[in-house]
Amino acid sequence: MYRYDEFDATFVRQRVDQFRGQVERRVNGELSEEEFRPLRLMNGLYLQLHAYMLRVAVPYGTLNSAQMRKLAFIADTYDRGYGHFTTRQNIQYNWPRLPDVPDILEHLAEVEMHAIQTSGNCIRNVTADHWAGVAADEAEDPRPHAELMRQWSSLHPEFSFLPRKFKIAVTGASADRAAIRYHDIGLRLKKNGQGEVGFEVFAGGGMGRTPMLAPRVRDWLAKEDLLPYLEAIMRVYNLHGRRDNKYKARIKILVHALGAEEFTAQVEREYARIDAPHIEPEQQELKRIAAYFAPPDYDALPGDDPALALRLEKHEDFAGWVERNVSAHRAPGYGIVNISLKPIGGIPGDASSDQMRAVADLAETFSLDEIRISHEQNLVLPNVAKRDLFALWQSLGEHSLADANIGLASDIIACPGLDYCGLATARSIPIAQDISRRLGDPARQREIGDMKIKISGCINACGHHHAGHIGILGLEKRGEEYYQITLGGSGDERASVGEIIGPGFSAENLTDAVETIVDTYMGLRENGETFLEAYRRVGPDPFKEAVYATH
Amino acid sequence: MAKKITGTQALTGNRLSDGGVVFLASNGVWRAGLENARLAHSDEDIADLEAEGADAVEANRIVDPYLVRVEVRQGRLVPAAFREHMRTRGPSVNLDFNSRTNGQAASAA
Ligand code: SF4
Repeated sequence: MYRYDEFDATFVRQRVDQFRGQVERRVNGELSEEEFRPLRLMNGLYLQLHAYMLRVAVPYGTLNSAQMRKLAFIADTYDRGYGHFTTRQNIQYNWPRLPDVPDILEHLAEVEMHAIQTSGNCIRNVTADHWAGVAADEAEDPRPHAELMRQWSSLHPEFSFLPRKFKIAVTGASADRAAIRYHDIGLRLKKNGQGEVGFEVFAGGGMGRTPMLAPRVRDWLAKEDLLPYLEAIMRVYNLHGRRDNKYKARIKILVHALGAEEFTAQVEREYARIDAPHIEPEQQELKRIAAYFAPPDYDALPGDDPALALRLEKHEDFAGWVERNVSAHRAPGYGIVNISLKPIGGIPGDASSDQMRAVADLAETFSLDEIRISHEQNLVLPNVAKRDLFALWQSLGEHSLADANIGLASDIIACPGLDYCGLATARSIPIAQDISRRLGDPARQREIGDMKIKISGCINACGHHHAGHIGILGLEKRGEEYYQITLGGSGDERASVGEIIGPGFSAENLTDAVETIVDTYMGLRENGETFLEAYRRVGPDPFKEAVYATH
Repeated sequence: MAKKITGTQALTGNRLSDGGVVFLASNGVWRAGLENARLAHSDEDIADLEAEGADAVEANRIVDPYLVRVEVRQGRLVPAAFREHMRTRGPSVNLDFNSRTNGQAASAA
């Protein structure tokens, strides 16, 4: 894992001191709210519906046990004993008091964490495939590049006041688990015919009120050219991005307005103008960073563990959990364990401080001290020996963390919605809870198979509803919540934007409508088709007919 | 153009210290709970609320105060707008995590 150098440590400490002074001046009246707002936002502090909310960055979703323990400590000491893991691989605290925030940031700095780049019109915390570095289908670990981008973007004066916020996602795998085409810039490391690794570059994607998939702007970019090329993209955006209209200011609108071809041509022209001499120091820095991400010392293990095979035979629940929650690891004899934060009827992405501590302990014992946060609001123990899976599963069960539902109908993404969020038009969490209870019977959801249900509480789409196989958007009409359903979205390597199926539903009727959609799929699927495959074959009509005939 | 203000109004804001939702009650005191709010029916009363709100901002106690329309429904005073209703009530989901009853929704709106 990356460790701060002296520069990083000093920078973060200085920011804490600076913010402490700013909070003091706000409390004693030297700063007005207008003056203070941009300062607090630069430190991840929002004012939400009922309280402040502090968003803490988890760069590329990677944490160690000490960091997770610190998050639990903060939840207990300064909040209400829990935190919310988000679709940006961050954690949010919902109840911090303003005078405590500098102390919280100081605690975070002790474990090399902060809340910088979690708000404002800057390049936000870079997100990554949550299996980065361990996935069996990966060309190369993308996290050293993500870290390089973090360093490059966090202090770059050109990028502190962009037309709008800017999100970059990166993967090194063939399967896209980071929804890269839904980002302002999406990067994928891949191998060419000569076995060299380089980037495929996508730009101009996004969710929000105008969902767009990023077109490919470069099929191949040498790794060492990454920052100059990104700089060229940012310059074109900075030059032409619409600062006059918030709703048109994202890069996706620019790419759409210019057309992918013209946008790419402009980027290439800008890129040709950029001097290359700064590449060398960047490569040295990349090497320094990459050393921190070198694969850990895995034990030399056989690919299959005989004791595991026996246990799988004997314990049906355990076998079900392994089937859904354990994924292929690149090292023989190891597995990637996905911990569901989606208990049936629970709040998606929320974890208690007890659970955080338990995960920290288990990561230390079983996962070489590493934890990941996924954009699907789950946790990952990336390095678990197969021989330890049974013991780990038992321990997870003691902390209500052994739900075997990864990728199933109850593994729902939901943003905080109107239970917390100041921008929301409707609630998301109770909707997720209701659907999860309705479809969450273990046998039933296994029978339904792969299913991504995603819920946002407003058009901003933090719940990624556009990328949901079943997407749900909460709106308000005449003082009542109502919900629009989209079908056929996907954030994977065959990304698509979901299509609205028709008029919305009241909160009372919504779960019935979702169940009708699921039942319709079950009735028409062929040869083990997943929901998404079936939808792509038959289109929306059978679902519309079923839903609007009965509701 | 200023929004036309109609109906009974209360003045709400968030406390600077913890962001908590409060309403202007009597004598410049801000309290949680709409039932404690001082209600304004006339333009004059509304102007008074706003003036006291500005004082509270000046005194660094309250952030961004604004008027909300309130009405009586089934004998209870409630905000007219759904968002304000949610804001006044607090989250509708059970937050008692460490009791492991995570997720049992509290009473619906
Ligand atoms: S989608 Fe809307 S309601 Fe949900 S967290 Fe984002 S801004 Fe808030």
